[in-house]
Amino acid sequence: MAEAHVIGQIIGATGFSESSLFCKWGIHTGAAWKLLSGVREGQTQVDTPQVGDMAYWCHPIDLHFATKGLQGWPRLHLQVWSQDSFGRCQLAGYGFCHVPSSPGTHQLDCPTWRPLGSWREQLARAFVGGGPQLLHADTIYSGADRYRLHTAAGGTVRLELGLLLRHFDRYGVEC
Amino acid sequence: MNPREEKVSIITEESTANDEDAEVGRREKSSKVQRQQRKKQPPRADSEEMVTGKAQPGQEEPEMHLLSMPARRGPRSLPPIPSMSRTGFAEFSMRERLREKLQAARSKAESALLQEIPTPRPRRLRSPSEKELETEFGPEPCKESQATSHRNDSQSYSRVKFHDAVQKIKSKPQAPPGFPSAEEAYNFFTFSFDPEPEEPTVKARAKNRDGTHQEEEGEEESPAGGMNKMVLNVIARAGTPQKDEEELLGSQDAKDFLLGLDPAPDEFVVVRPAEYEGTHTWLEKEKELLFFPSRRAVPTWKKLPENVQPRFLEDEGLYTGARPEVARAQQNVVENRLLRQEPERKWFGDDGRILALPSPIKPFSSRPRPLAQEPSAQAGLETHYKKAVKYVHRTQHVVGSADPPGSFQLDIDISGLIFTHHPCFSREHVLAAKLAQLYDQYLARHQRSKAKFLTDKLQALRNAVQTGLYPEKPHQSLDATQKTIKEYKSEIRETRKLRDAEQEKDRTLLKTIVKVWKEMKSLREFQRFTNTPLKLVLRKEKVDQKADEEAYEAEIQAEISELMEEHTEEYEQRLGEYRASYQQWKAWKKAQQKAKKKKKKQAEEHPEGEAEEELYPGEEPVKPIPPELLDHAVLEQQARERAAHSRRRPGEPVLLPELSLTGSVTPDDQCPRAEVLRREDVKRRSVYLKVLFNSKEVSRTVSRQLGADFCVHFGQIFNLQIFNWPESLTLQVYETVGHSSTTLLAEVFLPIPETTTVTRRAPVEEVEFSSSQHVTLDHEGVGSGVPFSFEADGSNQLILMTSGRVSHSVAWATGDNGTPLIPPPSQQSLGFRSALKRADAISSIGTSGLTDMKKLAKWAAESKLDPNDPNNAPLMQLISIATSGESYVPDFFRLEQLQQEFNFVTSEELNRSKRFRLLCLRSQEVPEFRNYKQIPAYDREILEKVFQDYEKRLRDKSVIETKDHIDTHRAIVAKYLQQVRESVVNRFLIAKHHFLLSDLVVEEEVPNMSSEGSGILGLSLFKLAEQKRPLRPRRKGRKKVTAQNLSDGDIKLLVNICRAYDIPVRKPPASKSQQPARSSRTFSDRHAASPGAHSPPHSPDTPLSQVSVRPFVEVSFQRTICHTTTAEGPNPSWNEELEFPFRAPNGDYSTASLQSVKDDVFINIFDEVLHDILEDDRERGSGIHTRIERHWLGCVKIPFSTIYSQARIDGTFKINTPPVLLGYSKERNVLLERGLDSVRSLSEGSYLTLFITIEPQLVPGESVREKFDSQEDEKLLQATEKFQAECALKFPTRQCLTTVTDISGKTVFVTRYLKPLNPPEELLNVYPNNPQATAELVARYVSLIPFLPDTVSFAGICDLWSTSDQFLDLLAGDEEEHAVLLCDYFLFLGKKAWLVMGNAIPEGPTAYVLTWEQNHYLIWNPCSGHFYAQFDTFCPLKSVSCLIGPDNIWFNIQQYDSPLRINFDVTKPKLWKSFFSRSLPYPGLSSVQPEELIYQRTDKAAAAELQDRIEKMLKEKIMDWRPRHLTRWNRHCTSTLRHFLPLLERSQGEDVEDEHRAELQKQLGDYRFSGFPLHMPYSEVKPLIEAVYSTGVHNTDVPNVEFALAVYIHPYPKNVLSVWIYVASLIRNR
Repeated sequence: MAEAHVIGQIIGATGFSESSLFCKWGIHTGAAWKLLSGVREGQTQVDTPQVGDMAYWCHPIDLHFATKGLQGWPRLHLQVWSQDSFGRCQLAGYGFCHVPSSPGTHQLDCPTWRPLGSWREQLARAFVGGGPQLLHADTIYSGADRYRLHTAAGGTVRLELGLLLRHFDRYGVEC
Repeated sequence: MNPREEKVSIITEESTANDEDAEVGRREKSSKVQRQQRKKQPPRADSEEMVTGKAQPGQEEPEMHLLSMPARRGPRSLPPIPSMSRTGFAEFSMRERLREKLQAARSKAESALLQEIPTPRPRRLRSPSEKELETEFGPEPCKESQATSHRNDSQSYSRVKFHDAVQKIKSKPQAPPGFPSAEEAYNFFTFSFDPEPEEPTVKARAKNRDGTHQEEEGEEESPAGGMNKMVLNVIARAGTPQKDEEELLGSQDAKDFLLGLDPAPDEFVVVRPAEYEGTHTWLEKEKELLFFPSRRAVPTWKKLPENVQPRFLEDEGLYTGARPEVARAQQNVVENRLLRQEPERKWFGDDGRILALPSPIKPFSSRPRPLAQEPSAQAGLETHYKKAVKYVHRTQHVVGSADPPGSFQLDIDISGLIFTHHPCFSREHVLAAKLAQLYDQYLARHQRSKAKFLTDKLQALRNAVQTGLYPEKPHQSLDATQKTIKEYKSEIRETRKLRDAEQEKDRTLLKTIVKVWKEMKSLREFQRFTNTPLKLVLRKEKVDQKADEEAYEAEIQAEISELMEEHTEEYEQRLGEYRASYQQWKAWKKAQQKAKKKKKKQAEEHPEGEAEEELYPGEEPVKPIPPELLDHAVLEQQARERAAHSRRRPGEPVLLPELSLTGSVTPDDQCPRAEVLRREDVKRRSVYLKVLFNSKEVSRTVSRQLGADFCVHFGQIFNLQIFNWPESLTLQVYETVGHSSTTLLAEVFLPIPETTTVTRRAPVEEVEFSSSQHVTLDHEGVGSGVPFSFEADGSNQLILMTSGRVSHSVAWATGDNGTPLIPPPSQQSLGFRSALKRADAISSIGTSGLTDMKKLAKWAAESKLDPNDPNNAPLMQLISIATSGESYVPDFFRLEQLQQEFNFVTSEELNRSKRFRLLCLRSQEVPEFRNYKQIPAYDREILEKVFQDYEKRLRDKSVIETKDHIDTHRAIVAKYLQQVRESVVNRFLIAKHHFLLSDLVVEEEVPNMSSEGSGILGLSLFKLAEQKRPLRPRRKGRKKVTAQNLSDGDIKLLVNICRAYDIPVRKPPASKSQQPARSSRTFSDRHAASPGAHSPPHSPDTPLSQVSVRPFVEVSFQRTICHTTTAEGPNPSWNEELEFPFRAPNGDYSTASLQSVKDDVFINIFDEVLHDILEDDRERGSGIHTRIERHWLGCVKIPFSTIYSQARIDGTFKINTPPVLLGYSKERNVLLERGLDSVRSLSEGSYLTLFITIEPQLVPGESVREKFDSQEDEKLLQATEKFQAECALKFPTRQCLTTVTDISGKTVFVTRYLKPLNPPEELLNVYPNNPQATAELVARYVSLIPFLPDTVSFAGICDLWSTSDQFLDLLAGDEEEHAVLLCDYFLFLGKKAWLVMGNAIPEGPTAYVLTWEQNHYLIWNPCSGHFYAQFDTFCPLKSVSCLIGPDNIWFNIQQYDSPLRINFDVTKPKLWKSFFSRSLPYPGLSSVQPEELIYQRTDKAAAAELQDRIEKMLKEKIMDWRPRHLTRWNRHCTSTLRHFLPLLERSQGEDVEDEHRAELQKQLGDYRFSGFPLHMPYSEVKPLIEAVYSTGVHNTDVPNVEFALAVYIHPYPKNVLSVWIYVASLIRNR
C-alpha cells in the first residue's frame, strides 16, 4: 500500500564519442509494484551539442507507483543511441541504475557500456556504422552472468530523480 | 593489557626496587625527559630496558651496586603482595627454589666481584646494547650520556609502569578473558624459567660465529645479547652475570659459560650429527600407533549381524539405484576400517555392502564449459550486429499491424516409402516381404527380450520367497511376511505363465521364420530364378551341454516343486472344504436317519404325520468327494511337456537367424518371359507423394521410379510456412504407370506434431498405408486384391492388398535464435489440446497424448511402479497430484518466490484500495474518470459511488437495456455502436499519444518576399499602403488558445443575432371562405407552378396598418437561456450579442473532450403576444393588465461540435419552422415578390442571420493523421498522395478527398463507396410514374436516418465512413453516410449523381449530393432531404471543392467555388481536374458496398407501441416541467390532432395547413389555439424531449390552459421511424 513517486529528468549524457545522442529509457519493477500513472518508458529527442560534449535532453520522468513489497525496487535502464549525419541510428551504450531508495532529490550518474563484438564487427562499426546489440534487452538489468560479454565503456548519462515515498513507515521501512 | 608489557613491568619493578633509594633524586631530576622519551618509545622498549638494566651494574657504579646489593635484595625477597595472593602453590614453591638459587648466586657473585673489579669486562658488556640501540634508534652521539639517560628512563618508566600495573590490577582485578592477568603473566614468567636459558645462548653463539664483532666478547654477550628476559632478569638481580648463570644453567651450559671465560670461541661449538632414527624403528613405533586397513575383501559375515544372510533388494525387484563407482580395493579399505572402528555395523546394508546413495555423478557436466565455446553460447547474452538503420516511424499502434501474423514453419521430411505389398510383387516377393516382416518382428522381440526379463524376474521372485520363508532375522511381523510371500507366490505363478507364453512365442516365431525361408528356397528352386536378394542364415551358438542340462533340470524341478506346492495348497484348501462339507453332510445324514426313525415312530403313532418329512425336501446334500492329491509324477510330466513345447531343449544349439541382402538376383536374360515382363512393368512405375495441408495441396515430391526392391527414396524436406495452427496434414501416395495414368494409391494422415517436437529432434516415424484397389496383371506379378496361391493346385488362396509404409518426420522449425516457430496456442482449436496444455507434467516425462489422469493413476497403481525410481519421479508426482483430488496441474510457476512472505500487504488489499483504483482508471483514460481531478489522499475520503457508474457499465456491457431506447432494435444498435466506439477509441488512444514534429515545435515561417501564398512580408508591406476604411471594419485574427490550461468560465460562447427574414406573421381569425382555394393544390402542381402560386390567396387579407408579428430570439445553450429584445415586423433586425458561459464535461478542456461535447445551441424564435386580460373595461383607464404570451415560430439548432471545429459560424440559416403554424402565415409583400421571384422560387421559409464564435478562440482538434493500413494497391495510394499534394498546392483551402477510413480503420479509396443500391421497394411503389417524387421520397427516407456526427461518436478521433449497410444497421451516421446512401439510391434510380464535397453552413466541411436533371443541376442536402437548384442563393452549400462519382474524382480548379458561380460540367478538364485520366486509367475498383440492401419491414405493432410510450412519456415530462401548475389535457383536441398527423406524414408536412385549420376550427371553435407539429427522425427519446422543451409550449401560466399532445410514428423499412409530435395549448375564449 506504500506509494512512491519518481519524478525527475534525464538531464543528458556526457563522455560519448558520438555526438547527436538520444536515449531510450524504461523503468523495470518487480511484480509487487503497480504503476498507478505515468509512462514506464520513453525516448528523448536527439541532441547535438553545439558547445561542450554534453548532450542535454532534460527529458521528464514522472511515475507513480504503488507497492506491496520492497522486492523489485524500480530500476532504470537506458539505451543511448547516436544518430549519424545520414540520420541512421546506432547503439552507443546500455546503462542501468536503481532508482534511489531514500526520499529527496538525487543526482545520478549512470555509466554505460556497449557490446564490443568481434573484430570484424568492430571494424564494420568504425566504417559503416551499426554495431552489435543485445538480442534480449532485459540483459541490461537482469543479473544473468554476463562475464562472457565483451563490452566497451560508453559515456555517462546524468539523471536527476526526486523520490517521494508514502506509507513506507507504516510497514516498518524507515526512509 | 599487553602481556608482554606486563611482564616487563614486573621485571623492571624488581630493578627499580633495587635502585629505588639511590635513584630517587636523579629520577626526579630527569622525570621530564623521561616522560618525553617514554612517549617516543615503542612498545618494544622492553628490550632496551632489559639491556639497560643489565648494562647498569657494570658501567658507572658497579661497586655501588654490588655493595648495595644485599640491602636492596631485602624487599625483593618478598614477592608483591597482590600477585602472591593468587599464585598457586606450585608456583610458590618454584619461586622459593628460585630464591634460594638467587641467594646462593648472590653470595658467590659478591665474592667474585671483590676479586674482579678492575677487569674491563663490564664496559664491554655494553656493546650489545649499543648494537641494539644502533639498530633500533640509529647511532647516538654520546654513548655514555645515553646510557645513563637510558638507565634513568628505564627505571622511572618501569616504575611508572608498575604503578600502572598495580592500579590496573586493583581497579580491574579480573582481566578480560583472553588476556592474561598480571599474575598469570608473572606466573608464566617464573614458570618458564628453567628450561629456557639454553636457547638464547645457542642463539648468541650462532651470532658470534658469523659475527663481525670482537670475538672475545662473545661469551659475555651471549647471555645478554640473547635478550632473554629471564636471563636478563637474573643478570640484573645478580649484578654479576657469569656467576649467576653458572648455577642457573644446566651443566652443559654451565660448562660453556665457564669455558666462555676463555677467549677461544670454538670450544662452545659442538658439531653434532643430524639426529636420525632408523626407518625401521619409526615403523616399529608407528605400528603401535597406526592401523592400516587391509585391502582384502571383508567376508560378508563380518559385515552382517550373526546368522543373517545377505539380502539383495535388487533381486527382489526393488529399485536400488546405481551405486557410485568406487574401486573395489578402496571399498575394502573403508570396510575394514569401519569394522575396526565401529563394530556396530551400522554402515552396512542388508546386502553386506556399505550403504551408498545412488551415484550423484551426472553423465554430463552441468557446468557450462568455460571459454572453450564462443561467447555467444548463452542465448541471453547473444549480441547481433545490426546495421545502422534509418529510423522509420512505425505505425505499430494502428490496427492490424499491431499484431503481425507471424510466419510459422512446419518441416515435413519425407524420407522414403516401402511397399509391403504391391501388385507387381512376384510370389517370391510376397514371401520375402513376409520374411522381412517376421524378421523385423524377431528383431524387435529380441531387443526387448521379454522372455529373459521374465526369467530373471522369476528368479528374483523365487529368491525373495526363499529369503522370506527362512528369514535370518524376523524383522517383520509374521503376518506381513506371510502376506508378502503369498503375494510373491501368486506373482511367481503369473510370471511363469507369462514367461512360458513368451518363450513359446519366440519359439514359434523362429519356427515360422525358418518355415517361410524354406518355402522361399523351394520357390526359388521351382521357378529357377531369384528375384530378391534376401538370404537367411541361421547361426548356431553352441552351448555347454552339461550346464544347460543342469539349468534346464533345475528349472523344471523348481517349477515342479512350485506346482507341487500350489497343488498341495489347493489340496489343503479343498480338503478343508471337503471336511467341512462332509461334516455337514454327516450331520444331515444323521438328522435324516433320526428323522427317519422318528418318522417311523411317528408313522406308527401318527400315520398322517407327513408334514415333517417335507422339512428336508430338496436339501439333500450330495456326499462330498474327497479331493485327490495330485501325483508328483503327473505334475512332472506336465511340466516337462510344457517345457519341451515352449523351451529350447537342453543341449540344443541356440539358433540366431540373420537376414541379409547378400543374395544375388538372377539377371533378366536368364528369367522366363513372364518374369521379365514383370520386371519391366516395375521399371515403368513411379511413385510420388503429395503433401496436403488443411486438405490443400501445398507441395509434392519428385516422381521416383519404383526400384526392384519396391523401395522409393525421396529424402525431401518441405518447409511449410504457415500462419494458423494446422488442422490436418495428409500425404497422398500416387503411382504413375508409364506415361499414362496417375492413380491415387492411398492417403496417409500424419499426426500434427507436439509443440515440443522441433526439427533435428524429431524422430523418423513410419506410417502404414494400404489401398483397396484391385489390380490384375498379366505377368508374374501377383496383383492386388486378387486371390493367388503358392500351391500348384491353387488351394490355400491369399488375397493381398497394396500396402506400404512411409517414413517421415514432421516437426516445427526453429528460428534463428532457436525459438520454435509454432503458432501460439491460442490459435489451436479449443478442447482439442487444452487438456494437454494443462498437464505439463506429462509432456515432461516424454509421453504425450495422455489426458486421463485417473486412468493413468490406475495404471500406475496396477503396474506397481517402483516409486523410488527417479525415472518415475515426474510420473509419480503427477499421479499424486491426480489422485489427491481433482486432476489439477497448476499452469503456472512462481517467478518471484518468497515475494509473498515479504509483502507488506496482500495484493487483494492493494487492489481494494479505492485511491489506487481511481488513479489507475484515471491514467487509463477510462471515460468516466478521464479527467478526474484531484484524487483524495486517503481511501476513506473516496466514496463508493464514484465507481458505481463505471461498474454498472461494465456489468451492463452485454445486457441490453430498453429503458432509454424504448425499442429493442435501437437498443441493440446503440449497444453495438457503443462497442464499435470503444474499440475505435481504444485503438486511437495510443495513436493520439504519438506526436509529430509540428505538434511539438511551432516554427514561424520565415517571411518570404517572393512567394505569393505565404509572402507575409510582401503582403504586409502592401497593406501599409492600403487605405484605411473605418466604415468597413474587418475581423482581426485572434490568437488561438490551446485548450489545456483552461478552466470553467474561461470560455464563452458568443452568439450574435443579426436579423431575420420572412418571419411568419400573425393571421387574424380567418374567414372560412378562403379554405377551398388552398386545399385544391396538390403536390404535383406545386412544382409545376411554384413561382407566384403562393401570393394570390394571401394578398387580399394582409392588413396594412397592423403589427403583424413581434419576434424575439431566445438562445439556449447548456440550459442557460438568453433572449434578445423584441423587434417588430416580419424582417426584424436585432444586432444583439448574447454571451454564454461554456462548461466542458468534467471540467476537461482537452481537445478530445471538447470535440465530444454533444450540446447543441438552440436558437428559437418566438412571437411575443400581448393579451389584454383586463377583466373589467372600466379599469382600462387606470391600468394596463396584459399577459405576455410567446408563440414559438421556429428554431435553428447548431451543434457545439460544429462551432468548435469551425471556430466561427457566420451566415444566414433557414429557420426550421413547423410545417403547420396555426395562426401564422407568411407575409408576402407583393412588391418584394416580384423582384425576387426567381430567387425565392424553391426556397420558401424564414431565415436568420447569425454569427457564432467561441471566445477565446480554441484550437480545433485535428483528426488523426496516422497512415492506416490499406488493402489498396500501392500504386493507387501513391497516386492519391500525389493528387492530393497537387490539389493542395493550387487550392489549399479546398478539401480534396481521395481516400477515407472505413469502420475497421482501413484506408479505402473513396469511389468504392459509390455504387447503385436499391432503395426500399415500398418507396419506389408510391409514385411509380413520377421519378421526381420518388427521388424526393427517397431523400426523405435518407434524411430520416438519425444524424450523429463522427466527432461525437468517436470522440473527435477521426472521420470514419461506414458502408451503407452498416449505416442502415447502425441507424446513425453523419453527412458522408447520408450522402453516400442518397447518391447510391439516385444512381439506382438512373440519375447522374455525384457526391459533392464542400463547405456548407452550419455543418462546415460536408458532403452533399449533386444530380443532373434534364437541364439543370440539383443539390441535395442528404441530412434534411431538401434540395436546391444550383442557383438558389439560400442553398446552404457554400463552396464546392470536389466531386466524386462512382468511377472518378474531380477536383474543382475553377477560380470560384460557390455553386452559384461554377460549372458542374466535369468533362471539361480545364475546370475539373480528374483523378483517373488517360495516364492513369480507372482500374475498375470493386465496391465495398454490399451487392444489395435488404430491408426488413418494420413491425407496425412495435411502432404503435412505441408511439404510445412516447406520448405517455412526453405528457409526463410536460407535467414535470410545470410543477406549480395544474396540467389539464384536452382529450378531444388530442384525438383530433392524432388524426391529423398521419395526414401530415403522407404529405410530408406540406400544404395541409388550411385544411387542418378548418378542421380544428370546426372542432374547437371557442378555443384559442397555439400549437404546431414537430417532425424528426427517431433515434432516442432524449432529443424528442429536448425538442418539445425548446418550443416552450409548457411555458404558459394562463390558469385555464389546456394541453393537447399527439404522437405519430410512421415506420419506414429497416426500422427507420419518422416521428411526429403535435403539441398545442388551448385557451378557452370567453
